[in-house]
Amino acid sequence: MAGSGQTECVIPRNFKLLRELELGEKGVGDGTLSWGLANDSDITLSDWIGTIIGPPRTAFEGRIYTLKMHCGEKYPDQPPTVQFQTRINLSCVQKDTGVVDPKKVNCLRQWSRNASLADVLAGIRDLMVSKENYKVSQPAEGTTYF
Amino acid sequence: MAGLPRRIIKETQRLQADPVPGISAVPDESNARHFHVEVAGPVKSPYEGGTFHLELFLPEEYPMSAPKVRFMTRIYHPNIDKLGRICLDILKDKWSPALQIRTVLLSIQALLSAPNPDDPLDTTVAEAWKRDELGAIAQARQFTKEYAMGNKPPQ
Repeated sequence: MAGSGQTECVIPRNFKLLRELELGEKGVGDGTLSWGLANDSDITLSDWIGTIIGPPRTAFEGRIYTLKMHCGEKYPDQPPTVQFQTRINLSCVQKDTGVVDPKKVNCLRQWSRNASLADVLAGIRDLMVSKENYKVSQPAEGTTYF
Repeated sequence: MAGLPRRIIKETQRLQADPVPGISAVPDESNARHFHVEVAGPVKSPYEGGTFHLELFLPEEYPMSAPKVRFMTRIYHPNIDKLGRICLDILKDKWSPALQIRTVLLSIQALLSAPNPDDPLDTTVAEAWKRDELGAIAQARQFTKEYAMGNKPPQ
C-alpha cells in the first residue's frame, strides 16, 4: 500500500465494520436495502445477512431477497463474497448456487476500501433494473438455494 | 512518520518507554493509528489471570474526538457487549482532548475491576449481575478461563 498507511488515516477492518453495523441498525434510505450480522455475537464480524426488496416495475418487484455476505480478514482491502439465499435469475448470479460473480457487479469488480456492504447491495439492486435483467422470468417466489 | 500528528507520535513513544502496568499497546506495522492492546485482568477481579486483547484506533479527528476501542477477546461484563464494544463515558460524551490513550486504557482496566450494572451495554449480563452477583462473577470467571487464558492474539 502506498505510504504504508502512515500518512493517511486508514480505518481498520473491525472499526469500519462496526460503523457499517451501526448504519444498518439505524436503517438507511427507503428501507429497500438492509444488512446486519448473521450472528449477533460474532466477535470476528465476518458473516452478514443482507436483504434487497425487488425494485418496482421489474420482475423482482415486491419480493424479498436474502443474501449471505462474508467479510474475510482482508476486508475492506478485499471485497466481501456474496451469495444469494433466495433463488433468482439475475445476470451476476450463478444459476445453480446463488453465488454472485464479482466480475459482473461494478462495485465488486472495481472494489475500493471506502465501499461498503450497502454499496454491494445497491450495486446488485441496480442490476435488477438493468435492461438485460428487468424482464427475465423468475423462479417461484420463496424458493431458496440452501 | 511524516503526516502523523506530533501528539500521536509523542503518546506512542511514551506508551513504549513508560508503559502502564498490566497493559501493552503497540501500533500496527502498517497503520500507526491502529494499536494492538493487551490488558491483564486485574487482581481480585473475576478477570484475574486472563489476558484480554483489544484494538484501539485513533480517528482522523483525534484528539478532538475519542479513540475507538473494542475487546477482541470475549468477556462477560455488563458494560461490554458480545461484539466487544465498551460502554464508557470518556469514550463517548465525556471525552476531552486532555485525555490520552493512556487514560483510556487505565479507565478500561478500572472498568474490569468495577463493573457498573446500572449503566449497562449488555442488558442480559447486567440483569444477571444485579439479580445474582455471585453467580455473575462465577460466570465471568468461567469466560475468563475459557477465552482469555492461553489465547493467542487475534490477527
